[in-house]
This record gives sequence, structure tokens and C-alpha cells, in this order.
Amino acid sequence: MNDTLLSVENLSKGFSSAGRQVAALDNVSLTIAPGETLGLVGASGSGKSTLSRILLRLLSSDAGSIRFEGADWLALDGAPLRRKRARMQMVFQDPLAAFNPLATVGTVLDDPLRIHGIAAKDRRPGEIVMLLERVGLTADHAARPVRSLSGGQRQRVAIARAIATKPSLLVLDEAVSALDVTVRGRILELLVDLQKEQGIACLFISHDLAVVRAVSHRIAVMDGGRIVETGPAAAVVAAPQSEAARALVAAVPRLVTDPC
Amino acid sequence: MSGIFCSLRQLSVTYGRDRDGAAALDGVDLDIVAGERLAIIGESGSGKSTLARALAGLLPEGAKVGGEMLWPGLGHPPRAGRDFGFVFQDPGSSLNPVLTVGEQVAEGARRHLGLSWKQAYVRAWELLGRVRIPQPDKAMRAFPHQLSGGQRQRVSIAAAIAAQPALLIADEATSALDVVVQAEIVRLLDGLVREDGMTLLFITHDIALASGFVDRIAVFRNAKLVEAGPVRSVLSAPKSDYTAALIASHRDLATPPLIAEVPA
Repeated sequence: MNDTLLSVENLSKGFSSAGRQVAALDNVSLTIAPGETLGLVGASGSGKSTLSRILLRLLSSDAGSIRFEGADWLALDGAPLRRKRARMQMVFQDPLAAFNPLATVGTVLDDPLRIHGIAAKDRRPGEIVMLLERVGLTADHAARPVRSLSGGQRQRVAIARAIATKPSLLVLDEAVSALDVTVRGRILELLVDLQKEQGIACLFISHDLAVVRAVSHRIAVMDGGRIVETGPAAAVVAAPQSEAARALVAAVPRLVTDPC
Repeated sequence: MSGIFCSLRQLSVTYGRDRDGAAALDGVDLDIVAGERLAIIGESGSGKSTLARALAGLLPEGAKVGGEMLWPGLGHPPRAGRDFGFVFQDPGSSLNPVLTVGEQVAEGARRHLGLSWKQAYVRAWELLGRVRIPQPDKAMRAFPHQLSGGQRQRVSIAAAIAAQPALLIADEATSALDVVVQAEIVRLLDGLVREDGMTLLFITHDIALASGFVDRIAVFRNAKLVEAGPVRSVLSAPKSDYTAALIASHRDLATPPLIAEVPA
């Protein structure tokens, strides 16, 4: 199947907690097509982040398989895995925790370009400026410490770092949850623009269905380690089939201009 | 219908570390009406948490406070735990990790209501029921780390209201929780303040969340009060461009998505 970028089949993962075995992931299967955004939504503890960590090979799975860009993703190891990581990049919730606290914006963006051999040394400063401008920052930002940036600017740097290696898939785990609402809207627009322009596929993970709805073509709902519902975004929101999806739909705060 | 509980006149706060003198709160005039549910809305750096800390007397040493805070409803500055309860964002760090849930909820009741430990434990057990902790008997003996984030926040609320304070301050009390639990906690707070006739200060970055249950909204930006008024008028006819921008940034399921349904 050429129109599948990522396919996850029957993925399971258990943790033992206080002597009890807890299934964090229980037979999870999903697919993502090139250029598609799959929104993954669920309450705290539903298994969303465990899934993202296994995808990113930060955590091993107990059972199941993952195919990414036509290869067995879980069989990769060592140098071949490191090379291939360029194609699947990530953006985390807390951009401050995701950077070396002493790094400048320039070094943060230089690393992936150097490590993955994207650009030769003399071309890297120019590439960094292009990346910064692409995410709505300027060349002046390169010299600044990451710590001195606002939360929104930091998340732009995290996105710039993620797209530096020209990935085909971005995994975004609660990437806008810590941002102010006015900033959040602009970051979501940036993600959608990048996708249109570069055809990047996204796995967009959040507990907030309203945000997931804004950027996702399809939505998968997780509950208790299982995917309990998958469908086109509009259908899941308009007619949720599972208990978990109905609870998520009902919990989205609405602007009430006429309280009783 | 009721009097003024607290009156802020030209309240300003500057933290010692800001040598350039940037104020965290700048000339705020605001009245809090006894028995009202008032939302303080603002983004990062707006001064909303500084306001809560100033009211609660929790500003760090070295903070410079200007202007006046008057408490006509009390006649004296509020005493922590007795006159106001404070619910913080992260119950994981506001609860004492080495005390049982029962002990920390009972402590406020014993200290401020003059109860014996035995009576205070009975009251704590009742409070755990009021905040809808399942199996209160078991929860009384549990330590905070044994509970989920939502349950821990319920315990913090029980501890905050244990001495029947007149004012409850909730500072981003739901923002570390997922949306489903957040909705439950908001319903709980709303019910508790209604039943007990408490004044509620609900501090949040989420104007929509507040709009569902508060009486009035005060919007803060860059240390200043931008506007304050009844929910309905602030939301339907915001006076400032900033409030209008906040309202426009709100997303719910009726907001048109940013993408087309089918990928290109």
C-alpha cells in the first residue's frame, strides 16, 4: 500500500505498578497517510503518550508491529535507526524542558542539520535563517538563548528543529497545551501551513478535542489503552459513538454569553 | 444584593527582582462583591496570579505593594485558611506528601473551628463526601500520591473549605487537568460556593470555561485591569480590543477547522 506512511498493528505495552500489571496500550492499531493529520484524543492516562513514545522509539513495546515508510520500524537499531529518525520528528508540550537550558536558538537548529548531514558547514547559517523565517521568527533570534524566548517563540523553535531534517511525519504531543490561547491559534495556523507546503503528515495528540478538531483530518479516540473510535474529524465530533468520545465532546468549554 | 467584600484601590505590586521597576500589577481598581463568583481572566504575565497572591498575603518577601486593599466584609485582612481558602494549580505540590488525606483536610477544621482531632476527622470525612471522593473511608488513610490528579484536586478543595472560609480563591485550579476532569471540578466548585454562599475568585486563562458559571469577569493584561463587568455584557459587547481578541481566539467544536476534511 503506497498511500500508507505509518501503520501500527496490535501494539501493546504493559507497566507494572505496585505489583499490579497495567495495560497502557492494549492492541492498538492505526494508520496515517502521507500528508494527513491524525488527531489522537483521550483523557489523562488513556495511553496517548505511551503510544507516542513507542512510535518515537523512546520506549519499547511488548507486542505488535509498526511500519514506517515501508520498513519495519521496530526492527531498526543503531546507526540505521539514527539515520531514519530524521524522517519522524517530534514536538513536546513543554519547550523549555525539550531544550538544553544553555543552548542558543542557533545551536538548537544547527544540531539536526549537522547530525543528519542536511547542510554543509558553510551553508548551515543560511539554512538556520530560512528555518527561523519559516516559523515566523527572524535571523536575529539565532544568537539568543532559548530561555530568553517567550513560550510561543520557544515552541516555534521546537517546530523549526523538527522540520529541519525534512521529516515525513511529525509527532506532536500536547504541543499547544501550555500556550496562551492567542498564541495557540497562531501556532496551529503555522502547523497547518507547513503541512500544506511540505506535505508533512502529523500525529497530533491532545486531551482537548476542540484543538484536535481544528487541525485533524481524522480523529482517533483513546480510552484505557485502547482506540475506541476512529473516523473523519467531522463525524467523530458530530456523532461520537463511544462513551469516551461523548464525554470529550461534552467537556469542551463553550462561550456562554447568557448564563442562567 | 450584598455589600463589598474586598475593595482594591490603585493596587500595585512590583517584585524585587525587577530592577527596571516593571510592575506585576499596576494601579488596579476592583471591587469584589460578597457572594459573587468573579473570574479573573488573563494570559501569562497578565498579573492574575499576583493579584491572587496579594489578596491572600502570599507575595514573596521583597515584593513592593502600593495602593490599598480594603476588607469591609471582614474588617481585617483575611487569615489564611480561616477567611479564605486557596486552591492552587498543582495539587501534587500544594498537598503535603507525607500527611494522609484525612489529616490535611482535618487540620484546617481543627485549627480554625476549635474542633478536637476526632471531631475534625469526622468533618474531613464529610468534606471528602461533599467533594465526591469515592470511598471516603479509604481516601482518609491514603497519601496524595495514591490518588489521581483530579482526586487530588478534590482533596485540595476539601482542605481549602474545611474552616468554612468566606472567600475561595482558585488559581488555575483546573488547568493541569484534562478537559473531562476539568468540567467536573468546575461543576463541583460552582455547587460548593452556591451551597455555602462563598465568594469565589476563579482565576483562569480560559474565558470560555469561566463564562459557563461565573457572575462577573475581570480581564487583565500586562499587569493592568483591562475591563470588568457582568459576564453577559463583557462577552457580548467587550469594551477593549484585547477582550475581543481573547473571545475570537476561543475554539470549540463549532469553530470552523483550519484544514479541509480531505488531505491534499
